Amino acid sequence: MPSRKKARMKYMILLCGSQQDYDAMSGRAADKPAWSAEDFAAMGAFMQSWNNDLVASGEFVDARGLAEPVHTRRVQLRNGVPVVTDGPYAETQEVLAGYTIVECDSFDRATEIAARLSTCPPGPSGAEGQYVDVRPILEGRDDLEA
Amino acid sequence: MTADTVEDLLRRLAPQVLGAVVRRYGHFDTAEDAVQEALLAAATQWPQDGIPDNPRAWLITVAARRLTDLLRSAQARRRREDTAASWTLPEQWLAPAADRSASGVLSDAVPDSDDTLILLFLCCHPALSPDLQIALTLRTVGGLRTAEIARVFLVPAATMAQRISRAKQRIRASGLPFRMPAEPERTRRLSAVLHVLYLIFTEGYASTSGPSLYRGELSAEAIRLVRIVHRLLPRDGEVTGLIALMLLTDARRPARTGPDGGLIPLAEQDRSHWNREYISEGVALITGALPRGATGPYQLQAAIAAIHDEAPTADATDWPQIVALYELLMQVSEGPMVALNHAVAVAMARGPQAGLDLLKKLETDHRIADHHRLHAVRGHLLEMAGDPAAARDSYLAAARRTNSLPERRYLTARAARLTS
Repeated sequence: MPSRKKARMKYMILLCGSQQDYDAMSGRAADKPAWSAEDFAAMGAFMQSWNNDLVASGEFVDARGLAEPVHTRRVQLRNGVPVVTDGPYAETQEVLAGYTIVECDSFDRATEIAARLSTCPPGPSGAEGQYVDVRPILEGRDDLEA
Repeated sequence: MTADTVEDLLRRLAPQVLGAVVRRYGHFDTAEDAVQEALLAAATQWPQDGIPDNPRAWLITVAARRLTDLLRSAQARRRREDTAASWTLPEQWLAPAADRSASGVLSDAVPDSDDTLILLFLCCHPALSPDLQIALTLRTVGGLRTAEIARVFLVPAATMAQRISRAKQRIRASGLPFRMPAEPERTRRLSAVLHVLYLIFTEGYASTSGPSLYRGELSAEAIRLVRIVHRLLPRDGEVTGLIALMLLTDARRPARTGPDGGLIPLAEQDRSHWNREYISEGVALITGALPRGATGPYQLQAAIAAIHDEAPTADATDWPQIVALYELLMQVSEGPMVALNHAVAVAMARGPQAGLDLLKKLETDHRIADHHRLHAVRGHLLEMAGDPAAARDSYLAAARRTNSLPERRYLTARAARLTS
């Protein structure tokens, strides 16, 4: 009989965004309307309470945000030689912007956690179409063979 | 808050901020521009609004934001022009350095190595010519603005800006990683750093061209920079030797020129005008460094300067000791200028003829045969030997060969005195 601890699985909740989203959130009006200080504070407060709930329930593992996509180096093999490209993304391209790792009982529970993000105050562009992805984390061969 | 305090603070923080930004985001050349803009913003805002609680963090935040903007426009432009900013990784990125473990930690890293030191190593990289090394060091580590560096070197600001941007492009093209070089490379590169700092100092001290205004600032800046290196590498004998040498040399600055701006030779200087504070600090430093480990050229030169500075009068100078030190110096640092100074010391210790005999050998050395100092020294020794006509010819030959106006005036006056 596996312990309850062993039955828990890790999931990564991936938050995506483009350089334009970063611009809007940091208050620089460009192709999308800039966030006001109140917009930003409301989002921050929501994210903090979402995070705190996960810590309280013992489901929180780790959460990180990534620097703006402009600070990206791509290392790619070309003709057998590793070549580095600075800033490989277009301004509109959605890329990984941050993630939260949770440890919980099921994929459904992880999805439920992620779904709560839909109530996050969305900023001036509105929430329609925004998404997060939830993906199971593999701990090792056992996970695949179980 | 006075503008001066802010200026000092900014110059102290400049290399730390650049180091932090480059370490995190790379792009040495663009980051350097971004940091300059952050410094400029601080220089205008802080005297009015006050210094922020954490000025270093303020500057890093502003510089990082600016770097992001600069990179975005550069990347957008390249995408429009359909040119990817790609660079091939240099060999040194692909294999771990010999002293670097798989975890990326240097096994014998300089303790508490400061980003400032890494920046100095970058700026004084052998891929750059000395004028580029000097300009880049003054800007990135010294925190001087381009216009200030241009003023000191008496070139238009646009010329200096080009020089600095060329230096940065070359560093970027070299693909140097932002990290402390491994041994034995580190020792070689440190001596390049010390050489550049020494060049900055002598540029300020010797004033090879133009009026002497502002040049003293350059010597003071060199002393400040070498003090930073000393703080980071307190046990390196040559770093200590270089500070001592600069202090013991700069101590004589107040007595080195007369009220008319004319040069006064060491023997005729009013020693009561020498900077006693610098002398005692320099003597203490070199006395502490000499017994430790190998004795390099800066320590030996500092020891020689200390003997001069401690002599109560020119006649009381311990010349035999100076001769002995020059002989040691010739063993570790090959070069005709050292041999020329040795010849002077020999003449002072054993009489002018002994010195003139040594000069004979140097007159066939093409590296120095046409240098004004060789002719000036010959003039002095011939004068000591009681041959005024030959001495006069040598002084005039020296005067024709120097680019420094004060030196030319001094040599011409010396020759004229022998005519009458």
